[in-house]
Amino acid sequence: MNCEEYREATAANPAFEGGASHAAVCGECRAYQREMLALNAKIAKAMQLDVPELKMPELPEIETGTVAVLPARKRWLNPMLFAVAATVVLATSISLRVSGVFQSYGSLAEEVLAHMDHEPAALRVTDEPISDTRLARAVPAKFAIFDRNASLITYAQPCKIRGKDVPHLIIQGQHGPVTILLMPEEKIAEAMPIDGTNVKGVILPVGDGSIAIVGDREEQLESIQKNVVNSVTWTT
Amino acid sequence: MTSSSKEGERRRRYDKLVAVFYQDMYRYAAWLCRDKAIAEDVVQEALLRAWKSLDALRDDDAAKPWLLTIVRRENARYFERRRLETVDIDDLSASQAALLAGAPNEELDDMRAAIFELDDDYREPLVLQVLMGYSTSEIAEMMGLKQGAVLTRLHRARHKLKDSMETQ
Repeated sequence: MNCEEYREATAANPAFEGGASHAAVCGECRAYQREMLALNAKIAKAMQLDVPELKMPELPEIETGTVAVLPARKRWLNPMLFAVAATVVLATSISLRVSGVFQSYGSLAEEVLAHMDHEPAALRVTDEPISDTRLARAVPAKFAIFDRNASLITYAQPCKIRGKDVPHLIIQGQHGPVTILLMPEEKIAEAMPIDGTNVKGVILPVGDGSIAIVGDREEQLESIQKNVVNSVTWTT
Repeated sequence: MTSSSKEGERRRRYDKLVAVFYQDMYRYAAWLCRDKAIAEDVVQEALLRAWKSLDALRDDDAAKPWLLTIVRRENARYFERRRLETVDIDDLSASQAALLAGAPNEELDDMRAAIFELDDDYREPLVLQVLMGYSTSEIAEMMGLKQGAVLTRLHRARHKLKDSMETQ
C-alpha cells in the first residue's frame, strides 16, 4: 500500500485499520489519519441536530382480515405423541434417503405448502411494494435476477426449501397474494400441480431449477406464471 | 391470542421501535432533505407507513435499517410529488436556517453549513456512515451502489468538508 492508497482508504473511513505496515513507516500518513479522525469527530458532532418532540401520527386500525391465513393444518394435541411420531418419521426419512428410495415430487409440493404455513404474515393484501434493497437481499444476484416491472412485489425473504436457499416472494394477484418460490437448484422433469385446501398452484421446471407459484383457488394463475417465468433469469 | 390482545401486542411492539429509533429517523430525514418542516412531514409519513407495514418486519434486530429505508423512500416520494413546484430560494434558506439553529458554537455552525452544502450523493453516505454507524458495504446495499462508489463518495465528501472548513 502506498501513501495515496492509504489516504484514500482513510478519507473514506477514518477508522481504517488496514495498511498498518505502511502507517508504521510513514509519519505523514499517520498525521493524515489523525487529521481525518479529528475531522470525523467534528462531523459526527455537527450531525447531532436537535430533534423535535415526537408527534405520533394518527394510526389507523389494522384489520387482521387483510391477512389471508392459510387453512390450519391438523395439529397434534399430545406433544409426546408428536415427538414419537416425528422421531419415527425422521428415522424413516433418513433410511429412505440412504436407500435412495426417497424421490418424490409430491414431497416438494408438500414442502412448499408447509413453508407457506410457516410464513402466514407474508400473505398480506397490500399495495405497498417492497424496496429494491429488500428484493436484492432476498434474491441475491448469485441466484437469479428478477425483473420487478411486471408485478407488484409486496414481500421478499430469503428462505430454505430442502436445505437450499430459496427466494420467497409475494406478488399481488386479482384474488389476493400469490406466493412465488424461486428454486434455482431444484430441477424437476415436468410441471407439478400443487393442491391445498384453499390454494392451488404449480411448480414449473425452469432451466436447471424450478419455480413454485401458489395462489387463491379463484386466481387465474396462467398469466401470472407467464409473467413470473419471463421475469426470472437464473445466474447460478 | 385474541384479536384485541394481538392488536395490543402489535402496538406495544411499534411504540418500542419508535421510541428507540425516532431520533435516528428524524436526523436522517433532516440531513436528506435539509429542511426542518419537510423532515417532520417525512418522518410522520414514515411512521404511518411503518405502522401499516409492521407485520413485514420479521426481526426487530433489523428494525433500524428497515425504518431508515422507509424514511429514505418517503423522502424520495415527497420530492417526487413536488418536483414541479417552484422552490423559493429565500424560503429554502430560511427553512434550512431553522434546522441549523441551536449550534452551540461557530465552528459547529460552520460544519453544519458545510455538510448542508454537500451534494446529496456525498451527504447521504456520510450520514449513514458517521451518524448511523453503517459499514460501506451496508451503505452500498441501502443505496443500491457498488462499494467502490460508496468509498469514493465518502472520500470526496470528507475532502470537500476539509476544504470548506479551511476556507472559513
